[in-house]
Amino acid sequence: MKSAGGLVIGAFVLLLAIWLLWVVQTAIDIGAGPRLAEQAFAGLPATGVSNPVTAVLLSYRGYDTLLELAVLLAALLGIWSLGAASPGFQAAGAVLQGMVTLVVPLLILAGGYLLWVGGHAPGGAFQAGALLGAAGVVMRLAGDERAGLPPLAAQRWLVVAGVAVFVLVGIATMGLGAGFLAYPIGWSKWLILAIETAATVAIGTTLAAAYVGGRPWSHADVSGQS
Amino acid sequence: MVDSLALAVSVPLVGGLLATAIPKRAQALGLLASLVAVIAVAWVLVGVWQEGSLRSELGGWAAPLGIALVADGLSAALLAMAALVALGVGVYATGYFRRGDAAAHFWPLWLLLWAALNGLLLAADLFNIYVTLELLGLTAAALGALTGSVEAVSANLRYLLVGLLGSMTYLLGVALLYTAHGTLDLGLLAAVIQPGPVAASALVLMTAGLALKAALFPLHFWLPPAHANAPAPVSAALSALVVKAAFYLILRLWLDVFAPVVTPWAASLMGLLGAMAIIWGSWRALRSERLKLLAAYSTVAQIGYLCLFIPLLQALPPGSERDDLFVALVLMALTHGLAKAGLFLAAGLVQRDAGHDRIDDLGGTAQNMPATTFTIALAGTALIGLPPSGSFIGKWILMTSAIESGQWWWILVILVGTLLAAAYVFRVLSRAFNLEPTPRRFVTQARTEVPALLLALASVAVLGLAADSLWRLLGMGEGA
Repeated sequence: MKSAGGLVIGAFVLLLAIWLLWVVQTAIDIGAGPRLAEQAFAGLPATGVSNPVTAVLLSYRGYDTLLELAVLLAALLGIWSLGAASPGFQAAGAVLQGMVTLVVPLLILAGGYLLWVGGHAPGGAFQAGALLGAAGVVMRLAGDERAGLPPLAAQRWLVVAGVAVFVLVGIATMGLGAGFLAYPIGWSKWLILAIETAATVAIGTTLAAAYVGGRPWSHADVSGQS
Repeated sequence: MVDSLALAVSVPLVGGLLATAIPKRAQALGLLASLVAVIAVAWVLVGVWQEGSLRSELGGWAAPLGIALVADGLSAALLAMAALVALGVGVYATGYFRRGDAAAHFWPLWLLLWAALNGLLLAADLFNIYVTLELLGLTAAALGALTGSVEAVSANLRYLLVGLLGSMTYLLGVALLYTAHGTLDLGLLAAVIQPGPVAASALVLMTAGLALKAALFPLHFWLPPAHANAPAPVSAALSALVVKAAFYLILRLWLDVFAPVVTPWAASLMGLLGAMAIIWGSWRALRSERLKLLAAYSTVAQIGYLCLFIPLLQALPPGSERDDLFVALVLMALTHGLAKAGLFLAAGLVQRDAGHDRIDDLGGTAQNMPATTFTIALAGTALIGLPPSGSFIGKWILMTSAIESGQWWWILVILVGTLLAAAYVFRVLSRAFNLEPTPRRFVTQARTEVPALLLALASVAVLGLAADSLWRLLGMGEGA
């Protein structure tokens, strides 16, 4: 019986896959051509950056990226709400410790480079933040209970920094008379860099804190009310 | 230029950030943000009332390159309902979460959920809708697990995984449409879409994904445990708002974007699923042993009622009859949202007062908590569809349209569903009233009881008696 059920499901999934492949081919044949790529390249001079991917993420569809950063934050808040983190691993031996002291500064340096280069070549806040998060993971594996992060009160400010700078820039451009997230000409490069820097720090902190896997044990944080 | 649409999303978002950063003040900051957000939503509502619809292009980039936010009558009505429920839930939460720890976890996630909901209702871009769905699903599952009990965590982990499957299926449909037409904007897409295998497949994939999130029968299996085990203010928000948001998207796709693709056969299939949801959900509600489980199954049935409108809307030609039917649909959705929020908040109070929510052992609730019992009765009135509640008018127009479009068989489903709803509501009330003597005080804890009461009252009195203005808001000519 069990294998018969599996066979039916397998056949169903196979049919589904064939159907999807056929539909995708039909959709390609309808042929919208280069779709939005040409328009995205044509708009580049007005965005203040020369990397089209960064232009899509921070200028054309900046609002999507803003909400995606909020998704990351929500994931960490969910992890924190489920309880305290397990204690850290034992301290690393001399060889691992030696590697950590070498790798972590390199990761931070590479993160900073990717952040800067994102304006005109592949790179940007998500890649840079991932490297910072990896540095945190390495430190946690080597026995650092907090994965190299500051105390919880400071972590809270760091993880909201990305969304906060993004949304405040949006409200500010709206207040200046342009639309929400409509960067004024000439300012856009620096506003994008400010948003990306805050986002890098927030993403790195969020990933490392998510790896720690729970709220760091701290009384001072919530003892105000009871 | 102040953009009320962007503010309706960013105000709760900023509130959520502040509540995250300063946990000691989470409650005060959360309430403050809620008030400002309600003002922003009221602003949107006034704008739509005066101009019919609002559109704002974010980042100064017009569609298809940029993302637009759009508010029309439908989204404004749901935004307003969400704001009312959110205000009620917020005030209730100040009395419900006694430990500062719980409040510090509740507020950031709750405000992010509200921001996602407003973003979803205002979105006019298929991929942007996907992002808001992700934010909504993640915050909803995290909030549902806040009690930390094994049942709550496992039910909401399943909710999270089901939600992810739904989002991915939806995204598959979006990818197909973008491949074929090169745009993600709802308005531009509606203009170019043609009946064919690509559009039909995209509609099936997106509807299946959203039906999973809306808990449309037979994809409702995850809802009862997830909603019944969440903290009361969270259950209220999940049942009244989050499920409704997924249905709102189904409605947008079927009536706006895919209008030329939808066939009578496909619309009837949605109606059939809705009919089964009504019967099955109401029956399970009647058989439930726990009050919160009853409320959760009743949500399954209510989503069914909303789906019944789809084949009728598809069958009727544009005109005043179809306009009336559309308003009736929105009226049902709003009434159910308010009533279900009130019912879940009241159920939470009963559960806390009695230490359980087993319906058979609820004797004396009417004596201990008169205001809460009254709330349950009022919300029940709206769920059954008794006058003067909004769902009375909604069901009336629904049945009239069913006769006029020759699809009389839906009426049988509505009658059976209404009968079952009356049975499950009176079953609770008869238990609650079975002890003498008369109560000493009507209200026992104003902070938690009054918001629940007001929401239920609004579902019965305000929407029913002031339904006329909804016609105007939705731009459907003069009231019937």
